[in-house]
Amino acid sequence: MSATPKAKLFEDDRFMKWLLIGPLVVFLLAFMVYPTLYSLYMSFTDYVMKGDPNFVGLDNYRWVLSDKAFWEALGRTVYVLVLCIAIELVVGMALALLLNRNFRGQGIVRGLCFIPLLVSPLSMSLMWNYILHIQFGVVNTVLGWLGIEAVPFLSTPSMALNTIVFITVWQWLPFSVFVLLAGLKGMPRDQFEAAQIDGASSIRTFFRLTLPLLKPLIIIIVLLRVMWLMRLFDPLYGTTRGGLNTELLDWMIYRVSFVFFDIGQGAAYALFALYLTLIVGALLFKQLIKAMDGR
Amino acid sequence: MRSLLFWIAVGLMVFVFVFPVLWIYVTALKAPDDIFSDNPFVFSPTFENFDYLINVRPAFGELFNSMILSVGSTIVVMLISIPAAYSFARFNTGRGHILFITISTRMFPGVVAAIPFFLLFRNLGLLDTHLGLILLYTYFNMSFATFLLYGFFREIPESLEHAAMLDGYDRITILRRIVFPLIKPGIAITTMFCLIWSWNEFLFAFLFTRRIARTISVGQSTFWGSVEIQWGPMAALMCVAVLPTLLAAWIMQKHVVRGLTFGAVKG
Repeated sequence: MSATPKAKLFEDDRFMKWLLIGPLVVFLLAFMVYPTLYSLYMSFTDYVMKGDPNFVGLDNYRWVLSDKAFWEALGRTVYVLVLCIAIELVVGMALALLLNRNFRGQGIVRGLCFIPLLVSPLSMSLMWNYILHIQFGVVNTVLGWLGIEAVPFLSTPSMALNTIVFITVWQWLPFSVFVLLAGLKGMPRDQFEAAQIDGASSIRTFFRLTLPLLKPLIIIIVLLRVMWLMRLFDPLYGTTRGGLNTELLDWMIYRVSFVFFDIGQGAAYALFALYLTLIVGALLFKQLIKAMDGR
Repeated sequence: MRSLLFWIAVGLMVFVFVFPVLWIYVTALKAPDDIFSDNPFVFSPTFENFDYLINVRPAFGELFNSMILSVGSTIVVMLISIPAAYSFARFNTGRGHILFITISTRMFPGVVAAIPFFLLFRNLGLLDTHLGLILLYTYFNMSFATFLLYGFFREIPESLEHAAMLDGYDRITILRRIVFPLIKPGIAITTMFCLIWSWNEFLFAFLFTRRIARTISVGQSTFWGSVEIQWGPMAALMCVAVLPTLLAAWIMQKHVVRGLTFGAVKG
């Protein structure tokens, strides 16, 4: 309306869009580019938190590639990633379908189901540690009353990692449930009515109609969960602390950098993990953009 | 019959989701002997664990720190993320590349960022300070906040703004009068998530605080000593840490069913 040059500038979209995004970009540069470059530099040195860093070339990377513990941690991380996401998607879908109707007390039920997502992961992993304890955990007490021998959920290498998967799924399942539920609620109704008139079975409708419509949301869940699971730390801290064959990538980097203070080597591990996630993430994001714009 | 099966399924689901949280409160009310007893369901409730947190090992400082950090970082996050998300949604700024970079900050294994920041903060004197952690939490929550808000902005039809522009309103008025009222639920949900995730955060707090800025999460971990785990006081502190999130779950459930679509489903 007004014609002063300053107001004109705000009317100009090209100026406006970069102005709005400015603070974010500055913050990103400071908090992302800096640590990445610094880690990159550190990964070529033998810095151990004191003295001066010496340049050691590719020694740290050579060490990473030949380190059996690193490949084991990476393998475990992939195992946790695949298992958690698969369970969360399948069970989450089932629960979302279960909740996708109007019933009495639906507000209370939804509120209660939302709780695990919000309570502190550290508190919950400590609590699960207590609940699943082999001697005085409530689960094993009840199993004992039923005449079942105590299950060493968190005290044997063959079970500990799966128990951590369970704790993680318990915490994050509501995320999948609520995202998928939001998707189900937002579906165009007319197509479903048409399918019903055509006499399509409900299973057929689900696979032909519901699932394709939910595809962007499923990709979002996978994308976000891959990123969050790569940095799984709290459930380990509250339970096994990396023992009993449960050491995951993030814990290993923590141990090398902050317990052994081997910053150079820790940075090499960390960058390796970063590159891996960036590649997987970029592929998923491309799919997401395609799925979102394809309709 | 069908409805009976439905309620059994719902009941089972709610039980599995809620029981561990309930057990925190049960454990917090137990005396030390009852915590290791053979029958975990029978005990006489006592408040001695809470008394421990008030008189023996005060936890007020940790509670206060967590509050400052989550409120402070959430304000900064929202000031950065709201304009950025609008810019992404309306102008497709950076054609998806900057948006992806933003989202991927959450992809950094936490420890990758921790190493350089630990060294930097040590030089700047930001270790164990509120400001240091507020900056870290802003970085930590910014990506998800921007992505979530981006979804909400996408759901506002662009034609609405164009129509207002044709009517002669300037950009600022349109933002204030048309866009803001529509985005309010989105801002509410995003604020909640940021508050709670800063409140719950453990790794950065654990690495970057010692005594002064120690948060409630780190406080809980101090009960796991080298000799024994003090389950009672630990559970009592968990009660305090979990309480605001229970309230939040109640407030959020109404909006979240409609809200978590990330703008990806258009009905």
